[in-house]
Amino acid sequence: MSRARSARLRQLPLNAAATLTVLVCLFPVYWMISTAFKPSKDIQSTDPQLFPHTWTLDHFRTAVQADGFGMFWRNSLLVTASSILLALVVALASAYAVARLRWKGRRQFMLMVFIAQMAPWESLIIPIYIISRDTDMLDRLPTLTLVYFMVTLPFSVIVLRGFIGTIPPELEEAAQVDGCTRTGAFRKVALPLLAPGLMATSLFGFITAWNEFAYANFLIIKHQDSRTLPVWLSSFQNTFGTDWGATMAASTLFALPALVVFLLLQRHVTSGFAAGAVKG
Amino acid sequence: MSVIRDRTAPPSPKRRAVPGTSGPPPRRRRSGEPRGLWPYALIAPAVGGMLYLLVYPLLRAVLISLQDFRLRQLITGDAEFVGLRNYRTLLTDERFWEVVRRTFLFMAVNVVLIMVIATLVALMTERLGKVARTVVLSSLVLAWAMPVIAATTVFQWLFHSEFGIVNHLLTGAGFSSFDRYPWFAHGTAAFAILVLLVVWQSVPFAAITIYSALTTVPTELYESARLDGASSARIFRSVTLPVLRPIFLLVFSLEVIWTFKAFVQIWVMTRGGPGDATTILPVYAVQTALAGQRYDLGSAASMVTVVLMSGVLVLYFRQMLRQEDEIR
Amino acid sequence: MKYRLLAGGSALVLAAVLSACGSSDDSSDSSGDGRTSIDVWLMRDSVSAQFQKEFVQGFEKAHPGIRARVQIQEWDGIGEKITAALASNDAPDVIESGNTQVAQFAQSGGLLDLSDKVDELNGKDWLKGLAEPGAYEGKQYGIPYYAANRVVIYRTDLFEKAGIDAKTIRTRDQWIAATEKLNKGGDQGIYLPGQTWYALAGFVWDEGGDLATESGGKWKGALDTPEARRGMEFYEKLQALGKGPKDADEADPPQADVMAQGKVAQVISTPGGANVVIEKNPDLKGKLGFFPIPGKTADAPGAVFTGGSDLVIPTASGKQEAALTFIKELTGDAWQKKLAVAMSYVPNRTTLASAVAGDPGAAAMAVGAANGHATPNTPSWAAVEAENPIKDYMTAVLTGGDPAKEAAKASADITRAMNSGS
Repeated sequence: MSRARSARLRQLPLNAAATLTVLVCLFPVYWMISTAFKPSKDIQSTDPQLFPHTWTLDHFRTAVQADGFGMFWRNSLLVTASSILLALVVALASAYAVARLRWKGRRQFMLMVFIAQMAPWESLIIPIYIISRDTDMLDRLPTLTLVYFMVTLPFSVIVLRGFIGTIPPELEEAAQVDGCTRTGAFRKVALPLLAPGLMATSLFGFITAWNEFAYANFLIIKHQDSRTLPVWLSSFQNTFGTDWGATMAASTLFALPALVVFLLLQRHVTSGFAAGAVKG
Repeated sequence: MSVIRDRTAPPSPKRRAVPGTSGPPPRRRRSGEPRGLWPYALIAPAVGGMLYLLVYPLLRAVLISLQDFRLRQLITGDAEFVGLRNYRTLLTDERFWEVVRRTFLFMAVNVVLIMVIATLVALMTERLGKVARTVVLSSLVLAWAMPVIAATTVFQWLFHSEFGIVNHLLTGAGFSSFDRYPWFAHGTAAFAILVLLVVWQSVPFAAITIYSALTTVPTELYESARLDGASSARIFRSVTLPVLRPIFLLVFSLEVIWTFKAFVQIWVMTRGGPGDATTILPVYAVQTALAGQRYDLGSAASMVTVVLMSGVLVLYFRQMLRQEDEIR
Repeated sequence: MKYRLLAGGSALVLAAVLSACGSSDDSSDSSGDGRTSIDVWLMRDSVSAQFQKEFVQGFEKAHPGIRARVQIQEWDGIGEKITAALASNDAPDVIESGNTQVAQFAQSGGLLDLSDKVDELNGKDWLKGLAEPGAYEGKQYGIPYYAANRVVIYRTDLFEKAGIDAKTIRTRDQWIAATEKLNKGGDQGIYLPGQTWYALAGFVWDEGGDLATESGGKWKGALDTPEARRGMEFYEKLQALGKGPKDADEADPPQADVMAQGKVAQVISTPGGANVVIEKNPDLKGKLGFFPIPGKTADAPGAVFTGGSDLVIPTASGKQEAALTFIKELTGDAWQKKLAVAMSYVPNRTTLASAVAGDPGAAAMAVGAANGHATPNTPSWAAVEAENPIKDYMTAVLTGGDPAKEAAKASADITRAMNSGS
């Protein structure tokens, strides 16, 4: 009884904190979206308004009508999706080996992964450019895919290893006793529990690859049909400055897929739990 | 044991569907003994990728930092070896050391704020009801997914001296000294705004990761601790924290790395100014590299950055390796 | 189950990426009908879509053996992009580059030396502000394309209401007096952000100073000279006659957006800015006029920075002949005149100036262009713009810093930046 009451008491500051968190998180996002709907005249005003007086879709029209709009989306989706999936598959294998198997060189491998996490990507751009040039890989989307794969890989290995580590191996052993293969046991028992880890890593990979500008700008040179979305984001600038309404409209559209991806994965997470695996 | 049975229960409908793949279990277990090559096969793609896509370019970058390498050498490809000259140039620049100090300050302030706020948000999220939790998580993801350029621009607007809503609100609230206050003219103010921006952008990732880890803490542990009459603080200390420690250390080290390398926000917002007030190592490296396309100096600066970063994280590496031993 | 689906999906996507790239690669080179294809990079909004179409059609008609593919490049990250192009094995054939950027690319050996083509391209009449930055160590790499410099864009209706005739503003004193009159009620006399450093450079040149000076091969920041200090004093006086933010430049927010609000009597901009203002606020159509930036005395217009673009040919281009043909056509009489009229630019040759006499913006610009200046012509100037101590200096002085101290500091910073590269 007393627990219920104290729970209700706890609920008040908790909800206040949650509201504050949501507000702080969303205010800049709201500002971006509302700017996208404001007429240009109201965007820079000496009397800033929390709510737009008048709404317009002009900026979205500008953003969508930019040259190559569909192509940018296709390229970004392809590159992002394939780099994430590649990273997930490769990372899952390594993470499993590290967390579950005993072998010589395991520590060295993990150290290498950690050091890889610190890679100074901003100055690797020149060597990678040179290597791609000499192997005739410039101007190709697979080159970008491989770079983004590599940027996300160490992180994915580390996180997945951590998650696998939290799953008691006895679970799998029990399943194996029940007649599953090692892989089968892993897939049926551990994988659902890994859902949050997979979610975090794919989201991370998504946001990294989706936003990346420097490599996309440097490695895709002449082949205009291989440019990715961040290039689109920067296409509303000219010598007179930036068309902020259009940029914000584009940014809004640009941020949407991340939310969609999250909502999709969120279902995986909850279904993983709904299966009763943890709360059971 | 009931726990284990429960956990293996859900996939049972599927289990029936794949009996063929299960094979004779006893033999499988015995053949698992010559595991010898298994792990190496599993890590082979990762190692191969790292060798070709990371180690090899990294070696080339080290080589560049030991050469006289500018735009001309990038085009013609015949760079001259100059030994440690670039490192000497860098390390004898007193401005460089000032930048190093500032980088550490920037990193420390950011990481502390990020870790504290993210942990609180994660703990809060876990205690929320299903709907509220989804709302909080979704807004975290939205904040995280907001393109860096857009976020940076919006923050710049919020603090714009003429048109910014912050000055507007502060003046409206009676602080008349903020009427047209030029935030970006003052080093400390500009620094603070950048910290705010970086924290705002980094908390979502940290909070979501910590929250994900929290959900893997078996609920029974809480239940039994609570039944034992432990206080919330005690539960956090003796139940949550030990489970969280690895992920906590992980997030910590990642945030160290990322704030050390924060670049786009600073470059877009202040370009390291006013004066040098917001110049940290990566900004310095790019400024240096732009001076006549000095890729060699830029590379050298990055290598020094990596070494300094490893210095911060060396304790973490030791800890991590010890953990590896424990798992064994 | 879900995971198997996921894995299957991944294979599909990977295959799609590979096939997408494989197929699109085929289309990248010459067109199969015996014509030479050249790739041309022009900057975003440097020519209108309409002009681009017209020109390409005209060009291909005149030169049936060449197919010109114009690619529009974005301003963001353009330095890196051109660098990557110059160093690649398969570079574009013609690139538009900002006039002050040519030196650093030329220094690298990535550009074709066009010195022996200068006469053929009527080089003797080129605008100095474009031709000089396009040369490096006595050789011509950049071919002047178009120029633009800053003028004052003003609101004719506000001027009329205040009883001011823009034509009579010939000196700085008259300018200040007029601006004071305009700076009333809700209106701003002039919207001048604190970091419009090209405008400051003009005032400094008017006083006989410079941003940096060279002696014995070593560059030195010169903002602390008495001449440069006087330039800054004038800037401060002018800046106070409006509500320009002291800690931002003219792009943040775009000053055209601010003028579109309807409360600003003047801005300093290239004439093209007027079109942006009208686009944002059509009510101002017909209410914008132009006059050259006034000089110290009525004898000469104010000094201005000559901005603009040159065309260059990368050494890595495989079709240099065709590329040259393209440049010759685009910088020739016929298209230069059309371009200048269409975009309100100053044509690349002094002999063509009459082409834009009918355009008020371009005419005002042409007056100023007679007193055009450039930033120090050395590859190491790029380092100064990268961290831009000039902007910090301006903000510091405008927010009450000690001008002498700040000027000395900014000059030291410029000196350091310019000599750190060598």
